[in-house]
Amino acid sequence: MDEFQEILQDFLVESFELVEKLDEDLVELENNPTDLDLLNGIFRVAHTVKGASSFLNFDILTHLTHHMEDVLNKARHGDLVITPDIMDVVLESIDLMKALLETIRDTSADAGIDVSGCVARLDKVSGGDGNVESPVSEEVALEEPEEVVEESQDEPDYDNMDDSEIEDEIERLLQQRQAEDKAKREAKIAAGEKVLAAPPEVDAKEEEKPAPKEEVKATPKPAPAPTPAPVKEDHEEDFGDDPKAAAPAKRAPATVEQTIRVDVKRLDHLMNLIGELVLAKNRLMKINEEVEERYEGEEFLEELNQVVSIVSLVTTDLQIAVMKTRMLPIGKVFNKFPRMIRDLSRELNKKIELVLAGEDTELDKSIVEEIGDPLVHIIRNSCDHGIETPADRAAKGKDENGTIGLKAYNEGNQIVIQIDDDGKGLDADMLRKKSLEKGIISEKEADNMSDKEAFTLIFKPGFSTAASVTSVSGRGVGMDVVKTNIEKLNGIIDIDSEMDVGTSMKLKIPLTLAIIQALLVGVQEEYYAIPLASVLETVRISRDEIYTVEGRSVMRLRDDVLSLVHIGDIFEVERILDASDHAYVVVLGLGTSKIGLIVDTLVGQEEIVIKSLGDYLKGIDGIAGATIRGDGGVTLIVDVVALMQMAKDVKATTMIEASAEGSAAVAEKKKASDYTIMIVDDSKTDRTIMRKSLEPMGVTLIEAADGQEALNVLKAGEHSFDAMLIDIEMPRMDGYSLASEIKKYNKYKNLPLIAVTSRTGKSDRMRGVESGMVEYITKPYSADYLASVVQRNVNFKAEFL
Amino acid sequence: MSEKLKEIINKQGAQQESGLDQTDNVVQLVGFVIGDEEYAVPILAIQEIIKPFEWTRVPQVPKYVLGVFNLRGAVIPLIDLRAKFHLQSKKHSEDTRFIVMRHGDDVAGFVIDRLTMAIRIKKENIGPAPDTVNGDDTIIDGVGKQQDKIITILKVNKLLERDF
Repeated sequence: MDEFQEILQDFLVESFELVEKLDEDLVELENNPTDLDLLNGIFRVAHTVKGASSFLNFDILTHLTHHMEDVLNKARHGDLVITPDIMDVVLESIDLMKALLETIRDTSADAGIDVSGCVARLDKVSGGDGNVESPVSEEVALEEPEEVVEESQDEPDYDNMDDSEIEDEIERLLQQRQAEDKAKREAKIAAGEKVLAAPPEVDAKEEEKPAPKEEVKATPKPAPAPTPAPVKEDHEEDFGDDPKAAAPAKRAPATVEQTIRVDVKRLDHLMNLIGELVLAKNRLMKINEEVEERYEGEEFLEELNQVVSIVSLVTTDLQIAVMKTRMLPIGKVFNKFPRMIRDLSRELNKKIELVLAGEDTELDKSIVEEIGDPLVHIIRNSCDHGIETPADRAAKGKDENGTIGLKAYNEGNQIVIQIDDDGKGLDADMLRKKSLEKGIISEKEADNMSDKEAFTLIFKPGFSTAASVTSVSGRGVGMDVVKTNIEKLNGIIDIDSEMDVGTSMKLKIPLTLAIIQALLVGVQEEYYAIPLASVLETVRISRDEIYTVEGRSVMRLRDDVLSLVHIGDIFEVERILDASDHAYVVVLGLGTSKIGLIVDTLVGQEEIVIKSLGDYLKGIDGIAGATIRGDGGVTLIVDVVALMQMAKDVKATTMIEASAEGSAAVAEKKKASDYTIMIVDDSKTDRTIMRKSLEPMGVTLIEAADGQEALNVLKAGEHSFDAMLIDIEMPRMDGYSLASEIKKYNKYKNLPLIAVTSRTGKSDRMRGVESGMVEYITKPYSADYLASVVQRNVNFKAEFL
Repeated sequence: MSEKLKEIINKQGAQQESGLDQTDNVVQLVGFVIGDEEYAVPILAIQEIIKPFEWTRVPQVPKYVLGVFNLRGAVIPLIDLRAKFHLQSKKHSEDTRFIVMRHGDDVAGFVIDRLTMAIRIKKENIGPAPDTVNGDDTIIDGVGKQQDKIITILKVNKLLERDF
């Protein structure tokens, strides 16, 4: 039973692949009804599916494909010309075939779908030609798919042979075939492969055939048996492992591609592992930098450097290699469009031609799966709204045939999918009017909207320019889906249009989803990663370049007005550090909208691995996930889509006022001990001397043994200090550094820092002032002097004395 | 000396024996302190106990979710049980630990004030949660009675459940 399941799986995978290609070929066929190569290819698909399905006892599928085969076979022999009407029947049968295959996939049986109507039509098509099925063509039908050699070489002869000649020919071919199969089997046994024994079910395959002659050849014919087997080795070319057979087939590529089927889960796992490796690499590089700094000039450094760069190089290569294994050509998605365009143009009574380009462009599997739907919507939209009716086109002096171009190409780290049509184009004014009517935008917004912005209105949910809802479009859902899906992939939509000339839409999508390039930005003491695909540019601005318009911050960027939002407002970052006069604006672009994100610092570009925050924290607005940085810390990844939404609700950034708050709100002093003073000195003796000098005042004294400790005590916020006495010479962090660190914080801008030191040089005093000290007391000092300096600086109330 | 050794061995043997017949109705817990109360969770729900280290704040979450931290490559949420139990927040001290608990696929780290000990407690000594805390919503699994104190046993799945 397992073996059967295995064969069934292979059968399904193969069939779906074949059918997918079929659609494209059939449409092509309609344009070139006499292309023998195409016909043969299509016939082969029908036949392969028939052969395998009969082997697996899917009678309905066999029945259907058998009749398809009849029609196609006639066409192949020139007995039947494929007209659009016949094509409709054939296409219908293929849809049925797909449905059957899907049923089989889900239920392992092909029951429940009625094919009789379609079969009857197929029969009529083949029978309508007046030709009774001759056994001869049946023979050919059976032989050809297995042996392309015969098909292209011997085929024309059959019609001229009489029965006995045909018998002989069959005999000869059979022998040849058997010999080949035998050789093949032996080779496989030699290679240790499992060979399917020639199953007796072969008869089932022939049951449908009415001709008695079939029995003669059916019994000795082991031919169909190997058919499922080669599938495992090669799915692109049915005959891939039989070079002899493949060679004469014109459609086969010259070199046989060696492929292997791998479970996607394994690839995903591999990708995860690579992700871990990339993180480890980042970490290693960071450590290497630190080591370099610390042991400058040491010999082992060079060796370490070499190893690190090799590891980093190989990791990057490995990552690319694994990424490539997950890549699929976008042609897989494009394939279904010729058929769709054909159906749509018949349905809409328009003449539309689809021009595909760049089908070989590769994309990550997960993206290929996501991109199909949006493209369907865009193309349907182009057919329905874009391309005019032939009459209209003629009136405008355009070619009656409308063209839709679908093109994919690489651009840097992105894939661009471009959809062009030469239809009527978008009418910006009409879009504005419609959106206004539907209440999607306000009058003011409509007035201020550029044409390009107006085009993006088509992506708004509930928007539709179609006067009436047709079966094709007009419900105002489709383009919204496009936007959502593309944004989900971190993609950008660019739309351009000219009245009566056409519309061009560009979807820019990152190559892969798991490992991305990100821009790391800092705000206060926090860091965030922004997917680089969404970053258009970064600019450094000064505070006065930010204007406030209607309660929102904006800035002028070249000719545009860019609305701004502070990252701190979005992520509720506490403003503890003093903001500088300059800020950076990261211009984010997504889909069609733009926004400027104000950040404090730009850290740089880094390759990051996206990790989920898990069930507990999933779905936090504005956060797409997290990544682990080189230092082992976690950095959150900004969800640009959500951020843009959130930005709408954030009022004018408060960064300008931010600095004012810090100094306020000092509780009133009611007694001497309300004053708190910190003593920072590494010498216990010195601390004691200071304590003794100040204790008589009755103030609260807190001690710290070095700069670092002092900073921690300050940050802990358990006390609010009124002044600090700071020694200069201290381990870990000296007085100057401590002073400059403290002055970075808004809150402590006005906190008096008093240097107490034995350094008396003028330059020391200068440095003290530079780092933000207000007083400079040199040791030794008198207790009274110290107390008076402190009193002066903390505005000590006289009544406490 | 040898007598003493014998004594110890005997003692251990006795312990083991008594341990054997208890395996079924004994629950093993790990006790910890938050504020003034002692709590416990089943030992099997604990993945590891680590000393505090750096974490990253996450916006738009309740105060008791401190953020996320990196546990050997996995990003794990960090929850402050003091804040969750509406106690005043306290600076992390020498005794502060992160307990990483797991229930199914859910993992999270919890900040606790101090670990106490691993506790073996007989099932019959575990009472139900007080009536005042109602139904399935409570995070209290039961109350364990020790000689001199009672320990509140917490439901790990409830602790790991997102409630915002």
